[in-house]
Amino acid sequence: MHRRGASAAVSHRSAILGSVPTTTTASPAPLLAGDALVARLRGTPGERPLVDPGLAGGLRDWLEDELSGAVAGLPEEAGPVRISKEAVNGVLVCEAQLVAARAGRPGPTVQLARGSMVDALFRQWVTVGRIDDPVADALEALEVQGDPDGIVAFVGGLAGEERRALAAEVADHTERIRSAWPVLPASWLARTQERMVVPLAGGRVVLSGVVDLALGAPSGGRASVCVVEVKSGRRRVEHRADLHLYALLETLRSGAPPFRVATFYTAGGELDVEPVGRDALLGALHRVVAGTLRLVRLAAGAAPVPTPNPLCGWCPALAGCDPGLARVAETAGAPADGALACR
Amino acid sequence: MSIAVALPRAPGVTEELLAPSPVLTGEDLDAVRRHLVSLLGPLAAELPEGERFVLDAYRLGTALRRPERCLAAEEAFVPSPRTCRRAVGVAALARCLRGRAAGPAEAVDGVLAEAVEDAGGVADPGQAPGPWWGRWYAGLGPGARAVVAAEATTWATQLWTALEWDRLPAPVVAGGRPDHWAVPGGRALALRSRADVRVRAAGRAVLVVVGAGVPDAASRAELLFAALVPALAGSVAAAPGRVVGLWPAAGAVRVVPVDRRALDSATEQVATAVATWVDAVLERRPAGTLTG
Repeated sequence: MHRRGASAAVSHRSAILGSVPTTTTASPAPLLAGDALVARLRGTPGERPLVDPGLAGGLRDWLEDELSGAVAGLPEEAGPVRISKEAVNGVLVCEAQLVAARAGRPGPTVQLARGSMVDALFRQWVTVGRIDDPVADALEALEVQGDPDGIVAFVGGLAGEERRALAAEVADHTERIRSAWPVLPASWLARTQERMVVPLAGGRVVLSGVVDLALGAPSGGRASVCVVEVKSGRRRVEHRADLHLYALLETLRSGAPPFRVATFYTAGGELDVEPVGRDALLGALHRVVAGTLRLVRLAAGAAPVPTPNPLCGWCPALAGCDPGLARVAETAGAPADGALACR
Repeated sequence: MSIAVALPRAPGVTEELLAPSPVLTGEDLDAVRRHLVSLLGPLAAELPEGERFVLDAYRLGTALRRPERCLAAEEAFVPSPRTCRRAVGVAALARCLRGRAAGPAEAVDGVLAEAVEDAGGVADPGQAPGPWWGRWYAGLGPGARAVVAAEATTWATQLWTALEWDRLPAPVVAGGRPDHWAVPGGRALALRSRADVRVRAAGRAVLVVVGAGVPDAASRAELLFAALVPALAGSVAAAPGRVVGLWPAAGAVRVVPVDRRALDSATEQVATAVATWVDAVLERRPAGTLTG
């Protein structure tokens, strides 16, 4: 793999950073529905920024420069290091926690079941505009896709009361989807569960993501794609970073950044919408580089470094982790509530 | 070859599709055919009595990427939203091209509705059979049907937005019948390929093939395979002049001009893959059944 020099990396940065970053922040989220929701997602053609044709190539070169040296330490027989939003979030919180969580994958939970079912129902609503029996439809959808997380059996095994509670919750989320989302015009070219894959460093690192909903076609003139993520849990700080990562992937894949990225929270019906500026893409790039360097180091056999954090109380490796135990003791065993349970 | 298609991509990919094809003569094609027969004939003869083997793109890819997997018993094909998204998507694309739908989503809806109708009428001997996935789809509930529609819509939309369709000379064929060529002498061994879009440009056929994931070292052989089979099965006029591979998930485009050298390369890869599979077929047979 050709390793570009540091000066080349600096030049990519200069090229990319040369323009004034368009700092954007998520605005407060009034409840939107129907045409108002549509307008918020797509805006007007005049609002869409011109695509910088050199941006995607610059970002890709920057990533290659940062990562190509790091993969040299990987064993020859090692497969590609796969970089997803979960991997980046996890490794940046605590390497030891990520490794422990991967080693002992927990079984399905009610929260995971709810999240998977709501994702399936959102997809159904956007695609066919009809949901008759939320629980039955969602379970059929999961089953026909092979149900890799074992949700169908898990839900089938719930006791009557738990199952009724889950059904009621799923019905509430479904109602939020129904009342907020109109039938999308054909011209918006809606794609659901669209997969994005970006190989780097000669394929030894693979960035990937699956977006819940993509609207609009990539254009060379003005940015026109809008990416939407659906969350059935509560707001979490990493949701914005997840969207920025998807914006980066879409930019690298299609050559043009998305126009807007959004998260739809099915519990309350809020839609957080954010334009995609250079700062968001650069922030995502820095997180990807930082996370990937750690993941590559772990893949090369390095010992995971523990980092005390608010999630230590849920870590499967807590019993053998002195920094984690100290952290839990300091916070009197009261880690951030529910943070791990949300999807 | 890999190309960096400038934004917007659809015009660039369309340009590549319509670019002049390299020269391929009838003599070139005859030589390729003879060479392939000389390689595959002995392999066909090794197949056990009554055994028939068809190399398709899936088996070619398996043999080139993971030859050890050829030894495992092939699992029975089970329809799923992923395995039928291409079939539904291509049918939807055909509807879009004929102006029968406003876009891929509406087209997919129409294709699926028609399949359910066809599946309901299969008891009528006078009615043409529906698509291979039709009866499976008709037996699904609303939630599962929605996944089928969603997968096919995403697949078809990615292809629909990849090209400037109105620039392609008619007729533009979405999918079309698979190409098939049997090794002469016994028909125990055959090749079968398919393309997702077929057009004619400057007197030569041009193919578009949509791939999943990321293109890799075996992808060139897969694209050439899509050109080799129709070239073997027909005259030089039927031989594709270019194959354009699209990998929407990766945003990757690969263009392979089809000339004598490219077909020779494809021939070698096909022979390697068939040899791997024939070895696997022989190894999988119970001990003692090959004697005599």
